[in-house]
Amino acid sequence: MERRFLPRCPNVFGRIAALLIILGSGAPAAAQAPATPQMNMADHRGGIQGAVGTESKAPVAGATVTATNAETGAQFTATTDQQGGYNFAALPPGKYDITILSPTGVTTFRRTGIEVVADRTVPLDIAMTPATAAEAAEFERQALVQRIATLEQRITELEASTVLSEPETRVRRVEVFVDPTGGEHEEPVAGARPVVTYQRERVYRRQTISEKIEEALEEADERNVALGVDAAMGTQFAGRTRGSLDANRRAYALASADLFFTAGLAQNTIFFADIVGLSGAPPDAEIPTLTLLNGYTARLIRQNEINLREAWLRTELFGQRLALTAGRLDLTNYFDQNAFANDETTQFISDALVNNQMLGLSSNGTGVGAEFDPKNGFRFKFGFQQSNTDATNLSDSLYTLSEVGYTFTPFALPEGTYRVWFRTDNTAPGAIRTGVGLSFDQKITPAVGLFTRYGIGEADPEGSPLIYQRHHFFSAGFGVQNGLVLNPQDTWGAGYAQLQLASGEQEHLAEGYYNFQLTERLRLSFHLTHVLDKPDADTRFGYVLPGIRFQAAF
Amino acid sequence: MQTLRTMFIGAMFAAMVSALAVVVQAQDVKVTDPRSVLMIVNRDSNDIGFMDLKTRKMIGRTFLGNNVNPHMVMMSPDGRYVVTGGTRANKAFIIDTRTLQLIKTIQVDIAPEHLAFSPDGRWYYQGNPDGDSVSVIDMQSLTKIKTIPGFVEPLNVTFTSDGSKAYVGNYGAHWVGVIDVRRHELLKKIQVAEVPGVAKLDPAKYLGEIKGINIAALSNDGRYLYAADSDLNVVSVIDTREDKVIKTIRVGKNPWRIYMSHDGKYGITINNDDETISIIDTKSNSVAATLEAGSDMTGVNFAGGKAFVISSTSGFVYVYDMGSLKPAGRIRVGTNVQLETATTDAADENIYLAESTNHEVVIINAKTHGIERIKNVGLYPWGTHIMDSKDNYCH
Repeated sequence: MERRFLPRCPNVFGRIAALLIILGSGAPAAAQAPATPQMNMADHRGGIQGAVGTESKAPVAGATVTATNAETGAQFTATTDQQGGYNFAALPPGKYDITILSPTGVTTFRRTGIEVVADRTVPLDIAMTPATAAEAAEFERQALVQRIATLEQRITELEASTVLSEPETRVRRVEVFVDPTGGEHEEPVAGARPVVTYQRERVYRRQTISEKIEEALEEADERNVALGVDAAMGTQFAGRTRGSLDANRRAYALASADLFFTAGLAQNTIFFADIVGLSGAPPDAEIPTLTLLNGYTARLIRQNEINLREAWLRTELFGQRLALTAGRLDLTNYFDQNAFANDETTQFISDALVNNQMLGLSSNGTGVGAEFDPKNGFRFKFGFQQSNTDATNLSDSLYTLSEVGYTFTPFALPEGTYRVWFRTDNTAPGAIRTGVGLSFDQKITPAVGLFTRYGIGEADPEGSPLIYQRHHFFSAGFGVQNGLVLNPQDTWGAGYAQLQLASGEQEHLAEGYYNFQLTERLRLSFHLTHVLDKPDADTRFGYVLPGIRFQAAF
Repeated sequence: MQTLRTMFIGAMFAAMVSALAVVVQAQDVKVTDPRSVLMIVNRDSNDIGFMDLKTRKMIGRTFLGNNVNPHMVMMSPDGRYVVTGGTRANKAFIIDTRTLQLIKTIQVDIAPEHLAFSPDGRWYYQGNPDGDSVSVIDMQSLTKIKTIPGFVEPLNVTFTSDGSKAYVGNYGAHWVGVIDVRRHELLKKIQVAEVPGVAKLDPAKYLGEIKGINIAALSNDGRYLYAADSDLNVVSVIDTREDKVIKTIRVGKNPWRIYMSHDGKYGITINNDDETISIIDTKSNSVAATLEAGSDMTGVNFAGGKAFVISSTSGFVYVYDMGSLKPAGRIRVGTNVQLETATTDAADENIYLAESTNHEVVIINAKTHGIERIKNVGLYPWGTHIMDSKDNYCH
């Protein structure tokens, strides 16, 4: 390898002077080369000389010929004379690219690698043909592509370095050990007791600007109260099929709007409130069936008034195995959650196919629900609630529900959940009414599932002859999803319910529905219900009720 | 005599130099058995950590460079190299397994993330989601020989067992790309399912951010591919002989991807919108069970006859018995922690889970569900890898 040394000088000033001499002598030479390309110098330079002609060998006059040094990039130009001649008389030795530009600035000829040696002139006659023009154009295109690629690479490198690298701080929950003198240790020491404390630590997380913004937005969302809306309009038509009740060929409509408020208060703790307003006339106002023909009617307390349906706090303890819910609630919402027949907003509209009628609670009130989920298929629930809003103390209106559920995959079928529940209610004076029920939902294929409910409830104690009699409720049906549907997210199902009261009143109800999932937020469902009631031994009435439900949830 | 003496001295000198060289070389060798180490991708310290599986001690960390942001690590099938893609460096990094030295840096396309080796170890395919391409790296010459364009956010590459084809999951579309490995060219696009007709009523969902296919996972016999589509909520079964969809299975909402059980009987999708898992029976190609799971799930590992589902933000790993297909408990890794992804050892005994908040790897015993924490493995451990593991995946 060639090495260059400064001239030996006796002192520092001398060395600086020598350096300045070297720099001073080199710099002008380098600057002058491209500025004065055609200097007539006799000192060991070479040249290129020739003529430019067309394909038919006619001379091209006035064309600008450019010689570019491939190593240094220095450019030299010459203009052709009347005979097409050009001459580069003094080129530094090296390889040159020769190009000719058209008057419009387009490269029409290019030849690369012309070697110029000292004291010699290279002859180069140029014939400008369509082929040479195309070749030159392609070269220009490739050069442009290469330039774009280089620029893209520079942009990606710039992006790569645009990263926030400041360490963040976060507070961590840590366990430390405190000795009798108050000294804190990270590891156990003799006599020290474990104490949970909190301390700040630096977290090294490299984040892009977009990640950082996203995180900030999420954090802001978590702190805000989330608002949800579930608005539905259920329209039903009733045609009498049996009996002599006045209601016949009538239309009914009930509009409902639920506003949900949710807020995260602490880790694994949320607040929830549901405010509902209803307006309209459901068929239940005119047709005295034992169960509600429109499940939304249960929410209707007063027309056009907004009511607080639920407002509760929920927290999860013991590794989120135990969930506690306390506040104003509808306890039956959280029990007997049958997968195919549990929601009047998306499944059946008849209350008989939404709830087990033997659960027997008609009003919301203050209460507590506890759910233990060991995550092994079992689920245990217990809850109590004020069952009568007129009661002045909880002791006189205590409603309790207990449930054990088990989810498994029996007989090589898909999953099914089987549950049994038990309820008590002391609302009626002087006695505790009880009820017990079974419920299961079992998929028989990935798309089709069966459901069944059965419940027994003690009859009202008024009237001693009935005291040992029971109400009975039974429902069964099927639900279809993820297959056998018109659109992928659609669901449909059919069910039958039978209620027999201790007094002898009976009801048979059947319903089928098809629920179109129009968008993630919009649903449209069609229902066809038939109900047959027998209020006493001599009276019967029946109705067929086609209906449409339109629902928006967001 | 003088000649003999000179020769003797020369021989002695040569022997000493050789011995010294051997000693130096032995000191440089940090990994003698590539199967004995756990590789850890440390996203924010920009390195690959190596932990001895037996002693559970860190052997070393190979620094890749500033702002590299490595995403996924994998060992070549012959155990000779460890490779990773640096997402923010747009480069692939090749590490010598024996010495843990970074030996080659190769420019690839934009934001390289997931990668795969051809079964013979000759080709390293690096997916570049932001570049919409797959870079082909020749492991003989350790050079990039080609960039295959035409993908849409390619996330994962799966080679067939004979190495003739590779399938690419496109997260920005609803098709799986088929690469002819001989020519390194995109041969075919397999549409996994049609977007439903009602989609036009829901432009916010279907014209917003698209969530397509993460990976096409191969069945054990190599005959079928299973590709979950996150937006369409389906798993499509592709016959690899004809490269055609033969069945579409509806699963839960927003399936992130499918994970195949080691015995090949089941595939599990983690459905993050409804927080369930769908267990697919690969014999009948139908959903055998849909079970409750956790939030923000990032992966599934199989060991000891169970499936371990990682719920990233809840701090839990959900466990399912793969015999009875029912829940089998939950392992609490911590609170206020973020779980990333995990690998399973070749014996299916332990799961090595990256936990980024505390910069640790959590080792879960598949039988007892006991956990051991290996601290200070690097900053923001993002994923782990063991040679010959059947659960080598990434986010």
